[in-house]
Amino acid sequence: MTSKEKIPRQPMPEQAPEDRAKNFNEVPYGYDDKTAVLEASRCINCKKPRCIDGCPVGIDIPGFIVLIQEGKFIEAAMKIKQRNALPAVCGRVCPQEEQCEKLCVLGIKDKPVAIGRLERFAADYERKHGSISLPQLPPGTGRKVACVGAGPAGLTVAGDLILLGHEVTVFEALQEFGGVLTYGIPEFRLPKAIVRAEVDYLARLGVKFVADFVVGYNSTVRELMEKHGYDAVFIGTGAGLPSFMNVPGENLIGVYSANEYLTRSNLMKAYLFPEYDTPPVKCRKVIVVGGGNVAMDAARIALRLGSDVTVVYRRAREQMPARAEEVHHAEEEGIKFKLLNNPVRIIGDERHRVTAVECIRMELGEPDESGRRRPVPVKGSEFTMEVDAVIVAIGNDPNPLVPRTMPELKMTKWGTIVADEGTMATSVPGVYAGGDIVSGAATVILAMGQARIAAGAIHERLSGKVGGG
Amino acid sequence: MSSVNQAKVNPEHKHKTPTVKLTIDGRVVAAKKGQTVLDCAGENGILIPHLCSHPVLPPFGACRLCLVEIEGMRGYPTSCSTPAEEGMVVRTGTEALKNLQRNILSLIILEHPGACLLCEKRQICDEFRPDAEKAGSATGCHSCGSRDSCEVRRLAENLGIKELPVAPVYLNRPIEKTHPFIDHDPNLCILCGRCVRICKHQHKTSVIDFTDRSSRTRIGRAFDCSLIEAGCTFCGSCVDVCPTGALAERYAKWQPAPDKSVKSTCTFCDWACELEFGIKQDKLICTKSANENIPVCALGKFALAEFLNGSGRLHSCYVRTDGILRETDWQEALAAVKDRLWNYRGDKFAFICDSTGTLEDRFIFRKFTRDVMQSPNYIELEGADQAFKRAAVPAGVKAAFISGGCIEADSLSKLEVLIIQDCYPSEASGRADVVLPVRVLAETEGTIKDRFGRHRPLLKACEPPKAAGSEWMIICRLAKTFGAEGFNYEFVADITKQLNPPPAPPEIQTGQTPGPAQDLKQMRTHFRGHRIDGHVGGLRELNAGPEPAPVSMPAQTKGTFEILDNRRLVPNTHEIVIRAPQVASKAQPGQFVIVMVDEKSERVPYTLCDWNIQTGTITIVVQEKGLSSRKLILCKPGSKLAHVIGPLGVPLEIKKYGTVALAAGCYGIAAIIPVARALKNAGNTVLAVTEARTGYLLYYGDRLRELSDEHVQAAIDGSLSPRGHAVDVIAGRLKSGEKIDCVIAIGCPFMMMLTARETKPYGVKTLAALNPIMLDGTGMCGACRLTVDGKMKFACVDGPFFDAHLIDWDELKDRRRAYSAEEIHSLAATAPAERSHTCARPINR
Repeated sequence: MTSKEKIPRQPMPEQAPEDRAKNFNEVPYGYDDKTAVLEASRCINCKKPRCIDGCPVGIDIPGFIVLIQEGKFIEAAMKIKQRNALPAVCGRVCPQEEQCEKLCVLGIKDKPVAIGRLERFAADYERKHGSISLPQLPPGTGRKVACVGAGPAGLTVAGDLILLGHEVTVFEALQEFGGVLTYGIPEFRLPKAIVRAEVDYLARLGVKFVADFVVGYNSTVRELMEKHGYDAVFIGTGAGLPSFMNVPGENLIGVYSANEYLTRSNLMKAYLFPEYDTPPVKCRKVIVVGGGNVAMDAARIALRLGSDVTVVYRRAREQMPARAEEVHHAEEEGIKFKLLNNPVRIIGDERHRVTAVECIRMELGEPDESGRRRPVPVKGSEFTMEVDAVIVAIGNDPNPLVPRTMPELKMTKWGTIVADEGTMATSVPGVYAGGDIVSGAATVILAMGQARIAAGAIHERLSGKVGGG
Repeated sequence: MSSVNQAKVNPEHKHKTPTVKLTIDGRVVAAKKGQTVLDCAGENGILIPHLCSHPVLPPFGACRLCLVEIEGMRGYPTSCSTPAEEGMVVRTGTEALKNLQRNILSLIILEHPGACLLCEKRQICDEFRPDAEKAGSATGCHSCGSRDSCEVRRLAENLGIKELPVAPVYLNRPIEKTHPFIDHDPNLCILCGRCVRICKHQHKTSVIDFTDRSSRTRIGRAFDCSLIEAGCTFCGSCVDVCPTGALAERYAKWQPAPDKSVKSTCTFCDWACELEFGIKQDKLICTKSANENIPVCALGKFALAEFLNGSGRLHSCYVRTDGILRETDWQEALAAVKDRLWNYRGDKFAFICDSTGTLEDRFIFRKFTRDVMQSPNYIELEGADQAFKRAAVPAGVKAAFISGGCIEADSLSKLEVLIIQDCYPSEASGRADVVLPVRVLAETEGTIKDRFGRHRPLLKACEPPKAAGSEWMIICRLAKTFGAEGFNYEFVADITKQLNPPPAPPEIQTGQTPGPAQDLKQMRTHFRGHRIDGHVGGLRELNAGPEPAPVSMPAQTKGTFEILDNRRLVPNTHEIVIRAPQVASKAQPGQFVIVMVDEKSERVPYTLCDWNIQTGTITIVVQEKGLSSRKLILCKPGSKLAHVIGPLGVPLEIKKYGTVALAAGCYGIAAIIPVARALKNAGNTVLAVTEARTGYLLYYGDRLRELSDEHVQAAIDGSLSPRGHAVDVIAGRLKSGEKIDCVIAIGCPFMMMLTARETKPYGVKTLAALNPIMLDGTGMCGACRLTVDGKMKFACVDGPFFDAHLIDWDELKDRRRAYSAEEIHSLAATAPAERSHTCARPINR
């Protein structure tokens, strides 16, 4: 074979663990120009690039990698942006090892091309060099679309439809845009300046952003369409209702949903208290319950705030849904893992403050409906851990605010919105939905994939109207 | 903590002064010549009520409470200003005197917000609220940071004040929160003059004095300048002698009251002042000079507790493994220290410390360096002058053990091994191989040497952060890890015995030489290499000088939600009108909004009290509690709020219930306005009962009379009739057989809990509008969860209204206080001083 395969996969330089455990700066520094070209040159430009199949938004991966090889970094970024409105975000938070990189042909014998790192490089290069050029917009269609929620799904729909000439307004309940990218994913994993830059880019394209607006309260979806003249509405309100374990003691002070813990830190900047007014959760010994990315994020924040952190997860490492890189980073930084354990009771003092948590050991039994082996408690294996905080990161239920004011909207028994897979259309004509409000708690890129489908369907619907009136 | 009713002994006169004999309450007692009747009685265990008198201050006779009857004297002389004389026959505490004293105290309480003293539900309230609740201005004992040390309160209890002759008044004087360390609320002041007199007594000057006259008399500074400008050294003695909450320590006042006091020595500097520490559950709450004649400096008075309780304290051992400092236990940490240092015994090792540690600590440091590390390099930085020094390591030294953070940055890079033991992280500890947490200041015991060469005892007053150890003990254990002999000290006293006693120093009156208590410039800026003001908010304000940069006032120009009106309704309560059309157009009774004053603010929920769709405005009523509400009420009309989100929450179900009784207190009085209006429109008979501690705290009477079928205003202190809580009125009606179909309570948790408790026996449906801590207010975070009927509920999406009989009130009350420690900290560290003071001096500056 060619010499290309001999170049090893380029590592991304990152902050030393001892430094980063003390700050909220981003952990990896990203590729420099030279490393990026080197890594890009590993791509053998195969005839049937399977990587594209692995991308939920169908980015022309070999296309942008070739451009990086040629040193055309800005052009590479533009190429990605044809399919993905948020490349700097996706380059950081997508589980590439499960998607594009998993299918990379190099991965059979060697390590796959670092597609995610290259995507991130191209997007960062474009942003840093201040040359984010605006594409030529088609003439306006005069059609209005409302996106409910400024998370990854809402931003994707907005980005796609504005490029097609529609008028788009994004409504956000919080004071900042970005949804989970802003309140959920910590600064050290996804700097907020990047999210802001992506939102700014959309705003420059003409997307209108309205903050502090809670659809369901400030206006119903129906009112948006009937009173405010929106021709279509996309609901991307996410999974915004934290689940708890349903064990005794969960209302004690010191028990937090991961959402609360993350929101305090990421959105309200509690780690900068008292410069910012929201107090942080101060704890010395904390357990984080769960094995997903959110659990890793919460654990790593707690560590940075000076806590001794243990992740308690009821299954084994192989079943942890978190990205391998996040688990690795967490471990490197000094977070302990207590796998195959599950809390059964939280114990507090007379002032309703957490003092300890009682756990039980688990073992893996028969596979359950998810295909993973079901964890079963080991009788009599209960033990107590002294802690002063418990962060519950076991997932979220869909937010009920919009469905509550739309009785005609068809819902599943889990509270998610029923949407057609091919179009993301809901049971209400003109209303589409995507992201966690449809699929339950999932990933950023899956939400964006559904959003892309919805955007296509909305465009089709609106275009039909353009002609037919 | 108070000096009232404590016998005083004046040592100077103990033996020399001739005595006289007199009779007090039938007992023949001896008094020193010149001693007052009050002091003589106190010494003999006979307690005469008094307020203005203070053991170290000359008689003043302002409060007139210490009246006695003396045979042969006309009327009722004040015992604080009457010298005891031979053969005097004195009677205290007769019924006539008690009546007089009650009347005098009642008159004082008329101008001192003391309605809580007259409340019949005091006991339940004390149980429900073990600590006073934060408030911008105290309107009663339960919103007063000095509740547990207040002498007016104690006297009222002792004398059994049950009612006031006329309705009390609020003086409405501006509250000063612009000074470092000290909050001054003239509305609580009883003009006893103790503060003015102690300042004169201790400093021979009048930084503060009585200003203006007659009914306008108050305590102030010349030309109304600030305390800093007036030359205050912040010794805090005025705060210590204040019998009320008029002068209070910003950091300590909202902490739980101390239940123990310990005397020991301050080790911030070598003046080594004797301090009295106020302790609550082994935590240091406050300090003051142990000698009421001698002031201490601002560090001893105000900085010590905040420094020790700082959130950044080192509380565990850390050992660097794979490049990261990882938390570990003592055994592992000490083994790691031995492991790292073993090959550096001899000249390559240096031990560095400063002279703030105890003699015992330094004795052990020296011994360890010499005997265990076999090194001549024991470096002790002299701390005699207050200039900040850092040590450099001698040439050839490759390993260092440092007690503190006082090492030059250049030296750090030359070291191959660095062991740090300290109280706070520093630049050095960030690069150390092992970091050990230590006890400092009031957490330590031993002996220290003051600037006059005297040995002074140091007693442990409070508990350190969990794992922190005494420095001598750490090094002894370490020496044993090395296998060294001669470190078998069990108690610090075993080391003290080995110290050389100092040569007898000359007798020194510490109060005579001007020290940092008299001269701010002499005050230490560093401790163990740490800037003290890095951990103490008030010191930063003090160091900023008399014209500090305007403190964190919100950037109000960027927001979109304009404040159209902001007026004070009653003390501590503001009505704020905001332009927020998207809220106004959708608002329904019972809903709330979340407000962020600026981009750095908290998200705080406020109940919607009114709105106008035409003008696009909303009205909220805000009580000043902590930092966030304070920022909001300081916003002037025309300024803009960063974010207003709402309406949120499930509106109250408006239907025909029949007769609805609304019980409302504090902000709830405003919050029932839309509820009353909607219920009335739906055909209900509405009884609106509002309550307040006292009449002057009630508002919106006319509006509620208009909106309800019957409006009753109850005052807890009896200044209005009926006397009592709102629910007392409602329960009275229920008891008399009146039909009430639904009760809705809006107010503080105590008031709503009380309502639930009292209506329960009648089985009447009772709803309460809950207001726990929230973050997003849309169901996303779950911070506002509570237990209703044994089930977890979110107040933001399931509430705010819940069946009051099914709420776990105890849990709710505690959850609302989840961040009280941080809230108190932020008030002390970043209080947005309104800098309202405008200098009225007729001098151009």
